[in-house]
Amino acid sequence: MNPCHDYLNHLTRRQFFAGAGLAMGGLALNFLAPRLRGAGVTSADLRLHPALPGFPHFAPKAKRIIYLHMNGGPSQLDTFDYKPGLKKFFDVELPESVRAGQRITTMTSGQTRFPIAPSLFKFAQYGQNGTWVSELLPHTAKMVDDLAIVRSVHTNAINHDPACTFLMTGSEIPGKASLGSWLSYGLGSENNNLPAFVVLTPKWSSKAVAQALFTRMWSSGFLPSSHNGVALRSQGDPVLFLENPEGVDRSARRAMLDSLAKLNQLGYERQGDPETLTRIAQYEMAFRMQTSVPDLTDFRNESPATLDLYGPEVNQPGTFAASCLLARRLAERNVRVVQILHRGWDQHGNLPGDHRLQCKDTDQACAGLLTDLKQRGLLEDTLVVWAGEFGRTVYSQGTLTDTDYGRDHHPRCFSVWLAGGGVKGGVVYGETDEFSYNIVRDPVSLFDLNATILHCLGVDHSRLKFKFQGLDQRLSGVEPAEVVKAILA
Amino acid sequence: MMSTRRFLFLWSLLSSGVFADEKVTFNEHIRPILAENCFYCHGKDPNHRKAQRRLDMPEGATAETKGVRAIVPGDLENSELWRRINSDDPDEVMPPAESHKDPLKPEQRALIKRWIEQGAAYQNHWAYEPVARPAEPPVPAGANPHPVDRFIAATLAARGLGFSPEAPREVLLRRLTLDLTGLPPTLEELEAFLADRSPDAYDRAVTRLLASPRYGENFARGWLDAVRYGDTHGLHLDNVRAIWPYRDWVVQAFNENKRFDQFTIDQLAGDLVPGARIDQLVASGYNRLHLSTSEGGAIEAEAEARNTADRIDTTAAVWLGLTAGCAACHDHKFDPLTQREYYSMGAFFKGLADHVWDGNIPRPGPLVLITNALQQKRLDVITAALPERLAALAAKAERLTAKNPVPEKPEKKPITYEVVWAEDGDVPTATNILQPALAGEWRTGAGVPLVDGTRALRLEGKVERPVNFATGEVPLKVGLLTRVFVNYNPDSANPPKAVSLEFIADGKTKRLIWGDPKAFSPEAADSAMVAGALPPAGVYTRLEIEATDCGLASGRAYTGVRIAQSGGAAWWDHIGTVATSASAADDPLISAEAWAKGIRNDVRAVQNLPLPNEIAYLLGVSITQQDDEDKKRLATFYRDFIYGPLRGPLEPEAHAARQLQAEQIHYELTLTASLVARERAVPKPAHILIRGQYDKPGELVEPATPAFLPPLKPRGLRADRLDLARWLVDPRNPLTARVALNRFWQQIFGAGLVRTPGDFGAQGDPPTHAELLDWLASEFVSSGWDVKRLVRLMVTSRTYRQDSRVPPALLEVDPANKLLARGPRLRLDAEVLRDQALAVSGLLQPTIGGPPVRPYQPGNVWEPVAYAGSNTRLYVQDHGAALYRRSLYTFWKRTAPPPSMSTFDAPSRETICVLRTRTDTPLQALALMNDVQQFEAARGFAERILTSAGTEDKRLTRAFRSVTGRMPTGQEQTLLNEALASQRAHFAAHPEAAKKVLANGESKAADTLPPVEFAAWTMVASLLLNLDETVTRN
Repeated sequence: MNPCHDYLNHLTRRQFFAGAGLAMGGLALNFLAPRLRGAGVTSADLRLHPALPGFPHFAPKAKRIIYLHMNGGPSQLDTFDYKPGLKKFFDVELPESVRAGQRITTMTSGQTRFPIAPSLFKFAQYGQNGTWVSELLPHTAKMVDDLAIVRSVHTNAINHDPACTFLMTGSEIPGKASLGSWLSYGLGSENNNLPAFVVLTPKWSSKAVAQALFTRMWSSGFLPSSHNGVALRSQGDPVLFLENPEGVDRSARRAMLDSLAKLNQLGYERQGDPETLTRIAQYEMAFRMQTSVPDLTDFRNESPATLDLYGPEVNQPGTFAASCLLARRLAERNVRVVQILHRGWDQHGNLPGDHRLQCKDTDQACAGLLTDLKQRGLLEDTLVVWAGEFGRTVYSQGTLTDTDYGRDHHPRCFSVWLAGGGVKGGVVYGETDEFSYNIVRDPVSLFDLNATILHCLGVDHSRLKFKFQGLDQRLSGVEPAEVVKAILA
Repeated sequence: MMSTRRFLFLWSLLSSGVFADEKVTFNEHIRPILAENCFYCHGKDPNHRKAQRRLDMPEGATAETKGVRAIVPGDLENSELWRRINSDDPDEVMPPAESHKDPLKPEQRALIKRWIEQGAAYQNHWAYEPVARPAEPPVPAGANPHPVDRFIAATLAARGLGFSPEAPREVLLRRLTLDLTGLPPTLEELEAFLADRSPDAYDRAVTRLLASPRYGENFARGWLDAVRYGDTHGLHLDNVRAIWPYRDWVVQAFNENKRFDQFTIDQLAGDLVPGARIDQLVASGYNRLHLSTSEGGAIEAEAEARNTADRIDTTAAVWLGLTAGCAACHDHKFDPLTQREYYSMGAFFKGLADHVWDGNIPRPGPLVLITNALQQKRLDVITAALPERLAALAAKAERLTAKNPVPEKPEKKPITYEVVWAEDGDVPTATNILQPALAGEWRTGAGVPLVDGTRALRLEGKVERPVNFATGEVPLKVGLLTRVFVNYNPDSANPPKAVSLEFIADGKTKRLIWGDPKAFSPEAADSAMVAGALPPAGVYTRLEIEATDCGLASGRAYTGVRIAQSGGAAWWDHIGTVATSASAADDPLISAEAWAKGIRNDVRAVQNLPLPNEIAYLLGVSITQQDDEDKKRLATFYRDFIYGPLRGPLEPEAHAARQLQAEQIHYELTLTASLVARERAVPKPAHILIRGQYDKPGELVEPATPAFLPPLKPRGLRADRLDLARWLVDPRNPLTARVALNRFWQQIFGAGLVRTPGDFGAQGDPPTHAELLDWLASEFVSSGWDVKRLVRLMVTSRTYRQDSRVPPALLEVDPANKLLARGPRLRLDAEVLRDQALAVSGLLQPTIGGPPVRPYQPGNVWEPVAYAGSNTRLYVQDHGAALYRRSLYTFWKRTAPPPSMSTFDAPSRETICVLRTRTDTPLQALALMNDVQQFEAARGFAERILTSAGTEDKRLTRAFRSVTGRMPTGQEQTLLNEALASQRAHFAAHPEAAKKVLANGESKAADTLPPVEFAAWTMVASLLLNLDETVTRN
């Protein structure tokens, strides 16, 4: 590598542009331009929060990703993994040959019986390939020709905390970098005024006690903390500390920032530290965020037709529907990663009732998001992923009745869908046994899933690495991971 | 302008750190290249080794395999390694394509070339070699004899460089004060220092600052990051964990300048030190800092394996700079740590007696209560006497339940039962220990009439007093029918004119009177119900009241009965309830499950449950995770203290036990307590976990330390944590002193002499100044591990005192300041930024230690992520002084750390952190401008300036100096004048906005200052707090 580039990279990556994936202001550019020109760089070369050298590794199909995380573990049996044969096994003991001594959580390991609970929900065939989808997801069902449904994803973790951490960071142990942070780190940002990685945590409807989220799910871990996901909040400032204090309006802020920039410029001349220029740039960016973020969250210019796509809750801030519309607006603004974490899917009991509520929260908005992206030509280069942290057991936890059952955590198989940039629509991949207990064909580990996601974004998972604690850390783990080629366009 | 070629040359020299006339050494130059590119397949791990070729040792590298030798010392042409790293053939080139490694860089190849030519001498890894005390480089005439400077100057001279000039004195004092105390100097301190021209003025400033209690607070931060101290458990519910006394111990240890070896021993094994003091037990809480969970479905063996791994990894990184975790699944690929050794390290922690689950309670045992001598004496008495009383109680309970056992699964059917609460005394509870005794006396002996038991209550005169019921903190509820009964026996000679009973409940209930209602008061007569005539004297009569008659509907809560007599004298005995509840399964007095559920569902109660800590803990552990022993203990407690039908018959024994137990609980709740280490009678077995998997236990191992380090000297047959701790600080251990001092160096200079403070192994960076590192290590140990002395050595050096200005030439040559030819310039840490603002505002509260505080935090930081049942779901902000404590004391929720900290790169404290990154983001700009904490501080700062004497210019100068230490230049002064003028004009035009500006924050702004002027100054103060120079230490 050219040492001159090395040097510039050192400065640009660490000092000039490290700002939560944000670009620098015009003022700062004025300061920087002569210096960079002196080093043989023209302003056209200036990537604002640029990709790492060599990234993307190949032409990406998707430029950005919207990750819809169904937190708590949706039941594959009641959504995408249709098992009509189970009807005849109602309340029949799960054959020991199926479980084969595999571990189960301590919530049900004490149960004397493992009675099979067939899904209460009706399934029907949709799309050109006649894909079976449950009546819980009528809107998503209409989109199956755009979806690649993977019914054979499996994970290592059997409880929420480690499973969520594993799904998002490729490790059950806290401290690693999240998917979004990896993408921000490797691919940089293409937006001048917004973070590269945005997280939304909408409300949910199930009555069950919802599992927790952890900021480590969008944390940069060992990567520089500028790659942390920025949680956009539905109450209070959308971005922390975004609003000026009471009594300070935009003109007072501008005046203060002008004085600050001039004083800091003097400081730079006196001290000679490039870090000072970064700081000037970051203050300018902060100022611009104060308008770009409210603009982002202002839905007034959305047409009624668009709003209708997402369903009636779209106008209530903090709903999953509103979050999906926000995700589209972020995608339009080229934000690299949007993650929506919808909680409340942990149905150990009253699954039929609570899953109805959870699907009502999300189904129409998911389909609306896909449709809206498609109509705007954004789906072509936006990858959308829908995934929980694990699946649920075929046997009932607690009492099984004609109208009610619960399901425990099930890491051995669950269903995930992908759509958009790089993904082949109308595909169903992988197969589970007749109890949706074990995978019988085409298993996909979470490492494989992450490798596939990275592939869509033009990243070779084996070459996205960061030295930490003496190891080359990778999102896709140490053991070999495979890109799932069969679902790629 | 420098040509590219020349630049390239200079660059390669810098990045490789060697000049043409220098000898290439294996440790400094070659090992990093081989470790990065070759050792994975040609290193220690036989499972991954390719072509049976090892390059990590000379025997392997020079051995002939299939006719070739990888390295022939001195003979480049015949060295296969040289040929392979230069090959164009994709099948031959090393590293190969499938390794996903980039080809070696030209400068790396150049180094290997020269190394082979120079004889390819191997060295053992530098960090595992004993610390030898290098000779201090000679001092040229007239130069600074400071030992640190001798080493730094020698490396600088080798590159034709020298020290930068000394920083201006005001900059130096600000730097020193921030580095040692985490706070800026006051203007008075600055003036005094500038006025003091004596040669030892700086030394005396160092002495003063090292003696400041602020020093300990500041140095504790780095340690707390490393050992991952937090105020919550960190997993799943992420409930409160109250181990802050450990945090305070760390502060105090630094302030007392506790020897680092003792500091180490107390933390790893303070509980095992003979005659361990309370403070040593608190220190042993180090062993309890790992993340923990009580997640319902979690598997014990898995959680236990994680806890152990967390303890190994942290201990290895903090003291040894080892990335031990790499050896959890297989032998370490790069460092000489085997998988067996990894689990042998883990075996030291297998003796710990704490539970795997945290029970979601603040203080899962074992605990130490922080007592004074008197309290301890009393506790010792209780601890000695209580088991006997509990045993007597249990024995009787067992007899009583032999035929009528406590039902395991009561049915969902109505049940009627009788509970006697007061037989031989009032029920003592932990919360009424210090309350004055209630009226009357429980008497025993001849002449005392009894209904049952051995005592009866004697009331004389006009008396009203409660008789409370205690149910393990679940309130009693009125059932389908609830009737309280009391046995009453008036004196024949002097009977009361009236007596009454009344339910104790929230809200009003009706009182029931026997006898003349007017004997109490006219009001009582009006509002009470009258039962009828007084019962006869000299015998017991059972009086009863019924809840619904008194206005207490079914489902309402009550806690007892109030008895009263109008005068005279009487005996009272055998007080209780007859209840019919709708469902036995849901009645906490009949069903243990209902009782436990009631407590678990009451999140507030779980925080500070007035139950024995061990019982509170067991209630917090999910039923599915309780083992047989746990279940038995809970069932016994329920039977002996709660189960309704046994209350009366058990009351004499229960009363005796409860008196002591309540007192013990009282101490547990009111004294400060902390989580500590204790050793089990029999350690748990330690297995090698195959591929690191908890459910694949392999061979058993015993506690042992890695073979590549000096031998362990166990005191007994089985080595324990105390042996491990002593081994860590054995002067022969090559790592501990180097690793520890490197972090102190990092804290002072911003980067360590080894820039990978958590990895001193083959993959880590070699030291920038190896001899200095060793000299300091040797000095550190021989000084008796004197930390303050070490810090003094660093900050009194000329190296430290250099100006931090960055001449462009030097920036090009050494952008990362590895050579230390200038002073470091660093953005202040998160805590220091907040504390500095509080300090200059005059709002800072200097209190040291105590429970964590909850200062300002934007709404909706915890709530959107937390588990619904977590006791850290809702952030309840404190008020008053707690808002202005040092950031060290801010409550640290590990799954959602305080944004004022994490925005500025503070870690989550979930895992070890020995190096914070330093980023610069727009979110930081927003936080410094808009966080109410910062803006209120700006207002306080403005108020201090405005209330000081002087002209406007003088005031601006004063303000500028308060944050930067130095005088503003003429240009800066002008800019500040302009800034003030523009804000003044703005607020003059917007006087309402000025008032709003002053209303930010909960402290009250001085109302004597004109609002427009005050607001304009507040904006300038905020500007100054946001100044690059303010947020940086020059």
